[in-house]
Amino acid sequence: MKDELTLEEVRRMAVEIGLTRLTVEHLQQLLRATQAARARRAALPVATLGPADEPAHVFRPEER
Amino acid sequence: MTDLAWLTVAEAAGLLRGRKLSPVEYARALIDRIERHDGTLNGFLRFTPEIALEDARRAEAEIARGAWRGPLHGVPYGLKDIIDYAGLPTTAHSKILKDNVAAADAQVAAKLKAAGGVFMGKLSTHEFAIGGPSFDLPWPPARNPWNRDHFCGGSSSGSGAATAAGFLPAAIGTDTGGSVRNPASMCGVVGIKPTYGLVSRRGVLPLAFSLDHVGPLTRTVRDNALMLDLIAGVDPLDPGSSDRAAGSSAAELDRGVKGLRIGVIRHFYTRDMQADPEMAAGIDAAAKKLAGLGAKVSEIETAPLGVYNACNRTILTSEGFAIHEKWLRERPQDYGAFARERLMAGAFVRAADYVNATRLRRKLADSFHALFSGIDVAVTASSLDPPCRIDDPHAIEHTYARQARAPFNVTGGPALSVPAGFSKAGLPLAMQIVGKPFTEALVYRVAQAYEQATRWDARHPALSNQAPPRPWKGAA
Repeated sequence: MKDELTLEEVRRMAVEIGLTRLTVEHLQQLLRATQAARARRAALPVATLGPADEPAHVFRPEER
Repeated sequence: MTDLAWLTVAEAAGLLRGRKLSPVEYARALIDRIERHDGTLNGFLRFTPEIALEDARRAEAEIARGAWRGPLHGVPYGLKDIIDYAGLPTTAHSKILKDNVAAADAQVAAKLKAAGGVFMGKLSTHEFAIGGPSFDLPWPPARNPWNRDHFCGGSSSGSGAATAAGFLPAAIGTDTGGSVRNPASMCGVVGIKPTYGLVSRRGVLPLAFSLDHVGPLTRTVRDNALMLDLIAGVDPLDPGSSDRAAGSSAAELDRGVKGLRIGVIRHFYTRDMQADPEMAAGIDAAAKKLAGLGAKVSEIETAPLGVYNACNRTILTSEGFAIHEKWLRERPQDYGAFARERLMAGAFVRAADYVNATRLRRKLADSFHALFSGIDVAVTASSLDPPCRIDDPHAIEHTYARQARAPFNVTGGPALSVPAGFSKAGLPLAMQIVGKPFTEALVYRVAQAYEQATRWDARHPALSNQAPPRPWKGAA
C-alpha cells in the first residue's frame, strides 16, 4: 500500500466499501484519518511477533 | 450541616441511614444547584428531576421503615448517556440516536436502581464516546467546573463535570482509551477503569468491544471503591464478563502504604512524551509523597507509550468502524466532525493489522504484568497537560493524544486517576495508579493513603465566581 494517498484515491477506496455519501469535507477527514491509521500501523513492532504469538482474546468455549 | 453539594457518598449514607438527612431534602438541594449552574456547564444532557424526586420519596419511605439497602440508598447519581436507562433515550450525544429510547436498563443501571440510588439524569459525553468536545452536535459539550472556558476531558465529560461541580457525589462513565480517567484528571475527581470484565457492559453502547470498560467517578477514593463494589459482578449475558467473583474494593482502604512497592513509569511522561512541567512536577511530587508515607518507590520501565497507544488505537478504530460502518454509509452527515473523522480511521485497517495489534496486545500485557513480581502497583501520568481551552480546536487535537491512559485498556488491569494538585492557573493535575488484574483493592489503598495525606479532595470549584461562556445556539 502506498504511503501517500490523494483525495481521489480515498474517494475511490471509500466507494469500494460503500461509503458513497461522503462530501469533500468528509473525504478530507477520511484522508487524514487513514494517514493517521497508517502511521499507527507503522508504529506497531510487528516484527517482534513470532508465528505462535496468539491474539489477546482467543475463543474459549468451555468458559461460556 | 455540611453543604449538601459536597457530601460524599459515604457521608451521605451515614446521615441518610441515621435519618439525620432526608433523601428528598438532599435531592432537592442538588436539583436546585443543577438548575442554577448547569445552564453554563452542560454536565447533563437530560436532567430528570421528576425521576430523582420519585426515587428520593421511595428511599425515604423505605429507610423510615428500616429497609436500608446500603450506601447508595437515597444518594443521587447520574449515568453517561451511552448507558441505557429504561424509558429514556440513550443518545450517545449524537443526532444519529437522538430518539433511541432504551427498552431495558443496562446491567449497571439496574444495579444502581436496586441499590436505592436517586437517578438525576443522563450526562453529556463525547459523541459515541469518541468525538468531542464538539460544537456541531444537538447538545453542547460539557465544560470544566474549575474554569468554564476549559476542556473538562472526555468522553465521560458530563460525569466528570457534574461530579466536580457538586451536582452529584457519583457518576458512571465508560473507558475505552481513557474516557473515565480523562475527565477525572481534568475535573479533579477520582475515576477508575476497573479490570476488564469486572463490570458488565450489557446495555452500554459499545465503542470497541475488547477495550470497553464501565467505571465510577467520585470526589473521593472511598466513594469510588463503594461505587465499584455496587456495580461489579459477573453477568452471564455480557460475553466479556469475568466469572471471577468481585471482592471488596474498599477492604484495604485504610491500611496505608508502608512497605508497599511502587514502580513509577516515568518514561511515559518524561521521555516517550514530555509532559507539561507542572504536570510532571505534580506526579513526581506525588511519588515522593508516597515514599514519605513509607512506600518503597522505584522507577520501572515498560514498552514505549507510543507502542501501547498505537496498539490501542488500531484495535479501537477497527472495532469501532465495524459498529459504525452502516451509519457512516447511510448518514455520514449526521455525525459531528470529530466522531466522523476518528471513527473513519478504522475504514481501511487491514485484517492482518488488526489481528497483529491483538497479538501484540497479549505480549504487551504479559510483559507489563510480569513487572508485578517486583512491585505492588505502578504510578504514572494520566493526562500529560492541564486542561486546555475548550474553544481552541488545535489545542484540543494536540492534547487529546497526549495521555498515558490507553496502555491500561490494552493490558486490562485496574487504572485509577486521582487528583495530584493544581496548576498555577488553578486547574487540576492528576496521576494514575495502576495494578495487575483484579487488584482494585490495592490500587484504592494506595490512592486513599495519598488522598488522605494531601486532601486535594477538600478543594471545590467556585461556580458562582465565573463569568458564563457565550450562549449555545445549537447545531441540530
